[in-house]
Amino acid sequence: MTASASPPVLEAVEVSYAYPGPTPTEALDRLSLELKDNEFVALLGPVGCGKTTLLRIFAGFLRPTKGSVRCGGASIDGPGSQRGYVLQEEAIFPWMTVRKNVEFGLLAKGLEPFERRKVSEELIRLIGLAEFEEAYPKELSTGMSKMVEVVRVLATDPSILLLDEPFGALDAQTRQRMQDTLARLWAQRRKTVLFVTHDAEEALYLADRVVVLSPRPGQVKATFAVDIPRPRSFETRFSPEFLALKRQVWGAAGLGVSGGG
Amino acid sequence: MVSLLALIGSYTLTARLLSRPDILPTTEEIAEALGALLGRGVQLTAGGEHAHHHHPSSAQMETLLQEGVTLQGALAVTAGRVLFGLGVGVPLGIVLGLLMGSSRRADDYLHPIYILARSVPPLALITYIMLWLGHSEAHRLIPIVYAVAVTMVIPTYHGARDVAGKYVEAARALGARGRRLLLEILLPAAGPAMLGGLRYALAIAWMTAVGAEMLMAENGMGNLLVGGGMWSSRLQTRSDPAVIIVGILALAAAGWAMDAGVKIAGARLTRWAR
Amino acid sequence: MMTWLSARRAVVALVAIASLYVLAAEVGHGRLPDRIWMGAHYVENVQLLPTWRSLVEEGTFLIESNILLDSIAVSTRRVALGLLLGSAAGILLGLLTGSASRLASLADPWVTFFRFTPALALLPLYVVWFGYGESSKVLLIATNVAVITFLGAHHGVCGVPRVYLDAAASLGANGWQRFQKVTLPAAFPSIFASIRVAAGLAWVTIVVAELINAQMPSLGYLLALAGAYPRVPTMLIGLATVGALVLVFDLLALLLHAWGTRWMERAA
Repeated sequence: MTASASPPVLEAVEVSYAYPGPTPTEALDRLSLELKDNEFVALLGPVGCGKTTLLRIFAGFLRPTKGSVRCGGASIDGPGSQRGYVLQEEAIFPWMTVRKNVEFGLLAKGLEPFERRKVSEELIRLIGLAEFEEAYPKELSTGMSKMVEVVRVLATDPSILLLDEPFGALDAQTRQRMQDTLARLWAQRRKTVLFVTHDAEEALYLADRVVVLSPRPGQVKATFAVDIPRPRSFETRFSPEFLALKRQVWGAAGLGVSGGG
Repeated sequence: MVSLLALIGSYTLTARLLSRPDILPTTEEIAEALGALLGRGVQLTAGGEHAHHHHPSSAQMETLLQEGVTLQGALAVTAGRVLFGLGVGVPLGIVLGLLMGSSRRADDYLHPIYILARSVPPLALITYIMLWLGHSEAHRLIPIVYAVAVTMVIPTYHGARDVAGKYVEAARALGARGRRLLLEILLPAAGPAMLGGLRYALAIAWMTAVGAEMLMAENGMGNLLVGGGMWSSRLQTRSDPAVIIVGILALAAAGWAMDAGVKIAGARLTRWAR
Repeated sequence: MMTWLSARRAVVALVAIASLYVLAAEVGHGRLPDRIWMGAHYVENVQLLPTWRSLVEEGTFLIESNILLDSIAVSTRRVALGLLLGSAAGILLGLLTGSASRLASLADPWVTFFRFTPALALLPLYVVWFGYGESSKVLLIATNVAVITFLGAHHGVCGVPRVYLDAAASLGANGWQRFQKVTLPAAFPSIFASIRVAAGLAWVTIVVAELINAQMPSLGYLLALAGAYPRVPTMLIGLATVGALVLVFDLLALLLHAWGTRWMERAA
């Protein structure tokens, strides 16, 4: 195997993180992870396993207590628009219209109104919210506003997308629709994606690779390559390969009759 | 509206039943006092024009009219002080609140100092400030500014810390920095909380202004309520409840009007809120 | 809640303020004006920023002569009484009008009137009605406290989620039981928060009332006297005492609030 000349797009080397306080809580314990260019990786694990913490470290909001994180070889110093980050909580700016939300990153970059408009229009159309362009977030459903947050981050054309359980608050049907939308978006604008979820099916449906974390303190427990061809559809969820992988992944995550492998 | 009329009605009835005009003036007397105070501060002769009233012009009224005090004049003076206090105090409070709310470090250092500052009532400080500044306008305005600023800090602080946190993060992840972060993200996010604080600060401003005037001023509503005259002779003047009630009603009306204004302006500014 | 780091920083800040004062007092010792115009005459030899030593001396004198303690006792008693009376009345009325909307609309103009009347404006009226004694002051505090706690109780009752009441009803609770076991506890946060605000306001009110209508012994009178001489160390000590009492009452109100809401989740 030849060593790749360019550094991985996103890299965590023996990262540990402990939350400060009277009794420090170990959230991550010597975790190592590498993401390759344009790879879609899902981070799967139970509640409290540290997956949000890892994401926030990659986003630049937390510094690891041990180990290092690097983006394209350079160490991560703080948040930056190269690493687009969508929070778990609802963070669409309620005082701005949908269009202004999407254009916000471009505004920060200093683009002219005409250029901003071009980008935002296309993205909003892509997620099917053209009629809501001038609406305020209070008129959107939870799913829709989450998608706006995703394209808001896409507008600045980051090379990496960090998504923290974006569809966690949605009902099953809406979630599946949003997953399809995301897959479609990603197919059009390839990026490196790190997607945090607690749902194995969601992870398998969207990702190239699924990384399973152990409960606190988080460590990589297992990795699964998802070789199912794209584009994936509703039918894919019932294909034998998909179901076999699902059984394996749930087993690794600690569910199922047998401990599995 | 109906209950307002009921209020006036029940009061009139009670006053008439009680029949002690020196305690509960009748509605007519209140109306008279209102009229007298709205007119120009004309020099009255003791009997003269008011001879046909069963209730002679009171000592408080006399003093006030002699000094040329009118209701609208006094109200305008107090309102002016209130607006000044708000104009200087609100930005101060907001700056402090935003600073403490967005930076853990600043919060750790400044919060204890703020708690100390908040615990001394501004009107109590007025006696100390007088030693430094004498009987001047600054001496009356400083407690108002102080009270308003102190009141605005906490709502702004909660707006910045509890509400704005996630928006600031999302904006930073999108590449926003410095002034853009402050003006386009932090302020609107904390906006609704700040507006709530503003309404409260408004009430505090009026109260402090009136209090300062009751203690130390020769004009304004506080002065009117206490009966004119200077510091040591206050409350020696035989107070006229009709005048006082007129004054209180005027203050309540002014306070209500300003509050309504802020409420309406605030609703328009936060149309986007759920 | 308070990390070690925050506590350290707090101590640093407080020490810094104290040192700043001492420094200012030393620097100002020779430089600040020490002739004060008192409206009719000058007074010599006034220390605008008394040094620590003179503060300690003055403090000792005030404590030993019982002046300070008597004043504290009187003012505190008035505040406590006013708080008790006012809260009782306000909370009761608030609970009533919160539960019965017809009563609410009846009370509405009264409440609005009192809300927008600056607390202190009622003082001259109360003096006319109740004279210069204890009652006017205590009733003034009680009125203001009542308004605030009324709003707190009313808001608290109105804000009880219907789902709680429905759940209780379907479990067989009757009206009174629902009120006692569901409505009341659910309204506690709002009620206790308003008590805290009212406590602060009560102190502001009493100080001004005592300043205007100065009678010995009271903290307001202490301040007024200190202002008349002037005797700056007494004034500063008086201000500090009021501040300390405000903090104590605030802490008590905070503890009360914490006790009343101990079943609630911590804010994240």
